[in-house]
Amino acid sequence: MPEVYIDNKRYEFEGDHMALQFILDHGKEVPFFCYHPSMSIPANCRQCMVKAGQYIKDDETGEYELDEDGERKVRWFPKMQTSCALKLQDGMVIHTQETSEEAERAQKDTLEFILINHPLDCPICDQAGECPLQIQTYKYGPEGSRFEVKKVHKPKRVDLGPRVTLDAERCINCTRCVRFTEEISETNQLTIVSRGDKNYPMTAPNREFDDPYSMNTVDICPVGALTSTDFRFKARVWEMNQTPSIDITNGKGCNIDLWTRDNQVLRITPRHNKDVNDYWMPDEGRDAYHLFNENRASRPSIKLDGANQSNTSWNNAIETFAETIEAHSGDDILVIGSAHASVEENYAFNKFFNLLGAANARFTPHIIEGYGDDFLITDDQAPNTNGCRLLNLDETKEENLAQHISEAKVCIILNDDLIGREAVNPADFSGAYVISFATNMTETAQTSDLVIPITCVAEHAASYVNVDGRIQRSFPAKETKYTDRRLDLEMSEGRLDRYGTDFDNWVSEEHKVDCLPIWDFLNNLANRLGLDYHFEYSRNILSEISSAIPAFNDVSFEKMDEQQGIQLSSPNLEAKKA
Amino acid sequence: MSEDWKSYEPLLIPDIPNLHKLDVYADNDGYKAFRSILDDQDKWSRKSVTEEVKAANIRGRGGAGFNCGLKWSFMPDPDDRPRYLACNGDESEPGTFKDRNIFEFNPHLFIEGALIAAYAMSIDTIYVYVRGEYIDWVNKFEDAVAEAYDNGFIGDNILDSGFSVDMEVTYGAGAYICGEETGMLESLEGKRGYPRVKPPFPAQKGLWGNPTTINNIETLANVPLVINNGSDWYQSFGAEGHNGPVLYGISGHVNKPGVYEYPAGMPVMTLINEVAGGMRGGKKLKALIPGGTSTPVLRADQLEGVCMDSNSLREAGSMMGTAGMVVMDEDTDMVDLLWRITHFFHHESCGQCTPCREGTGWLEKVMVKIKNGEGEIKDLDLLLDVTTQMEGRTICALADAAAWPVRHTITRFREEFEAKCKKSVHAVA
Repeated sequence: MPEVYIDNKRYEFEGDHMALQFILDHGKEVPFFCYHPSMSIPANCRQCMVKAGQYIKDDETGEYELDEDGERKVRWFPKMQTSCALKLQDGMVIHTQETSEEAERAQKDTLEFILINHPLDCPICDQAGECPLQIQTYKYGPEGSRFEVKKVHKPKRVDLGPRVTLDAERCINCTRCVRFTEEISETNQLTIVSRGDKNYPMTAPNREFDDPYSMNTVDICPVGALTSTDFRFKARVWEMNQTPSIDITNGKGCNIDLWTRDNQVLRITPRHNKDVNDYWMPDEGRDAYHLFNENRASRPSIKLDGANQSNTSWNNAIETFAETIEAHSGDDILVIGSAHASVEENYAFNKFFNLLGAANARFTPHIIEGYGDDFLITDDQAPNTNGCRLLNLDETKEENLAQHISEAKVCIILNDDLIGREAVNPADFSGAYVISFATNMTETAQTSDLVIPITCVAEHAASYVNVDGRIQRSFPAKETKYTDRRLDLEMSEGRLDRYGTDFDNWVSEEHKVDCLPIWDFLNNLANRLGLDYHFEYSRNILSEISSAIPAFNDVSFEKMDEQQGIQLSSPNLEAKKA
Repeated sequence: MSEDWKSYEPLLIPDIPNLHKLDVYADNDGYKAFRSILDDQDKWSRKSVTEEVKAANIRGRGGAGFNCGLKWSFMPDPDDRPRYLACNGDESEPGTFKDRNIFEFNPHLFIEGALIAAYAMSIDTIYVYVRGEYIDWVNKFEDAVAEAYDNGFIGDNILDSGFSVDMEVTYGAGAYICGEETGMLESLEGKRGYPRVKPPFPAQKGLWGNPTTINNIETLANVPLVINNGSDWYQSFGAEGHNGPVLYGISGHVNKPGVYEYPAGMPVMTLINEVAGGMRGGKKLKALIPGGTSTPVLRADQLEGVCMDSNSLREAGSMMGTAGMVVMDEDTDMVDLLWRITHFFHHESCGQCTPCREGTGWLEKVMVKIKNGEGEIKDLDLLLDVTTQMEGRTICALADAAAWPVRHTITRFREEFEAKCKKSVHAVA
């Protein structure tokens, strides 16, 4: 098998490999800026330089030639090589900064160049704390600067588009953003303008950078040149907790991270998953953080005498709920599950009302034909349509829903804004007592007779099955009134959790929503009704699902965590695809 | 070299009135080489043309001095992909202005050379890329191409030989970097002239990803001479290892600046004193840049016995480049000169690679400081450091081209630079 020697250690390889990626894949490090594993290799930042050469092989024997000391002879390449664009060859010798002073020197030199015109405004720069330039300068950069002349000045605070702000002085011209619009989103909205040390990325004159994927350029920008217009100056990264989750704004289920501080989600960024979204996500999905912070259903609400809703106690909500159910037979109750809710929520919800003798829950897919593209935006507006299908909920077309509602006396809706998305009219509900389990005060929640606030994807661990039949799960990222991040092992630990003291006033009660996971509420309701029903955690629900429904056979949180989601196969899904 | 240069008859730009017109060119054996190839394709197979040109060892006149025929032989065998010849007429380095004369006075010689190259490499389309500032010459040259089309030298089934090729004239927007061969390819494709990472080389993946060869205008103008007279003849004059005629572009403080055609390997002093009419105002020679501003400057005392060919100039500590000689007299301020050169490269760096983008600007800014008398001795060492950090660390050779003049001008005229610097601020006990 072909072999290479990197820092005097032998590695075998097969197929085509570039040195930098190979080095990174083997747990070693070489600094770089312009290289991105999912885009073309421009080799323009010149940061990843290594010393490289080739062991000389005797043509006849195929053995390495040795010098007098018995060491293998090396033919060094005449120049330092950028490892990102250096294709591995059999017998190649590579010395990174770890074993070559020349490589270390070259990297330091390049960093000195990069920094001479960089404003060094880290204290006011949003990128600080997660800035490859800052990190690599600390690791590999020169001490101080020998640049005593004037820096180049360029445009600052430029609104490239509705969501991205440019500070051209910070730009190091790696062209990642330009290549992103050329190669990934294929809108070609950005290019480099001007020349030499005056150049920077820009749109065509009088054009906006309104690419539906524009904010990915903020993520891949290795400096603070492109920042999120929305997130700018809201928080420093080291004040936030980063929690893995799933994008719930469409059917793709992009893997994301939720960034929280004081129980507010402040931004959403994509998390790498090569089988789903690679390094990217649509801008729409990033806006979803508003859903987690604002207009939340907090404390149960109730309509008294058909008048306006008002808040009520949990006890009263349970009592009202129980009385409503007791007053009706199972046949009178219409149970509507939701593609906007998780697998566990739908299952726990459906099971509960099945115990009460209600018919199997219905659900109405939320699909806008032609809305999606062939990348990460889907026609499906909900994260869990396939989950509902696999749970064997009754798939009901929008146009048939009103009929079913009119036949019911009690209508129980799991987190789905049926009115807001115009699946039904408010008037359709006039004959029924409507109970909503809601994360947000949507139009549907606002017209309901009883609203039970439930946790959203940012507050619980739950799984979702995407349009391709892949089941993936979220982690709790923010506390509710009834959870405590120090007691919940699933919750991410941030710098402040680890190092904050009792005197640090990091967390307030202000942003904790008064809501419960739906299963917790149903446990309470079951107690009141005397039902044999109890789920401690969503984990328990999933394990019940996995033994009860063959499509979920072998599915567990652990396995999803290991494999970044599990591809499900089921005749049910295959039929839908066809 | 003896005095026989005086009897040299120009071959590239002979003194024939209206030679730029096709009929005049044809009357003077024009298109003879191309015709003889097409008429006897058994003798002149594609391979044998390449071999002949390779044997002549035409050193590329664009600056690198690479054997032209050898370059042609790197083209892969024809497959179903289109094949291109890209002719580089983007000369834009200060001191270099030779190809302009070919466009103006003998465009058909170049066209014929390009056609022969196209034949030898089975090219489908020839692109001629001319620097944007040469718009008058673009127009002149386009007239010549139109004439060649009208007379059946370019186009489909040329002279009933079965060989077809098209020629497209295009011009840049005035960027020096578009004269770098892969920068030129990007520009031809309608993109920013960012030089490409090599490998892959243009012969494998050139214009639009197809096999492409890039030759300088003057280089191709030599090709018909080789076909007409044979490689042995071509090898018989000029310097050892650097043969044939060269267009010397002499500028600066001489009495008769201009483009002069003589064999390669002319003694530098002969070119200055006799060809270019000697130093202006009888001043003393101080320095010479032999081949465009990117080539290292030589002091007058380094020029003794030096000839204009790659070997002799390398021994003297410089390079042949494009033979664009910049002659400087004793009044020349070397600090000012170097500032102007750094200004040029700062202005022209494309900005793709970090060391060049940042380094060229740094060099200029420090030079401005020194020029204004605000420099310190340590700045000179800083400049030398910066050149070391730039050299060989970028995709194309622009960083080298920007670094060499700084390195060599400072080391070769160090006292002059030190004299401009402030005295050390550190107290001496």
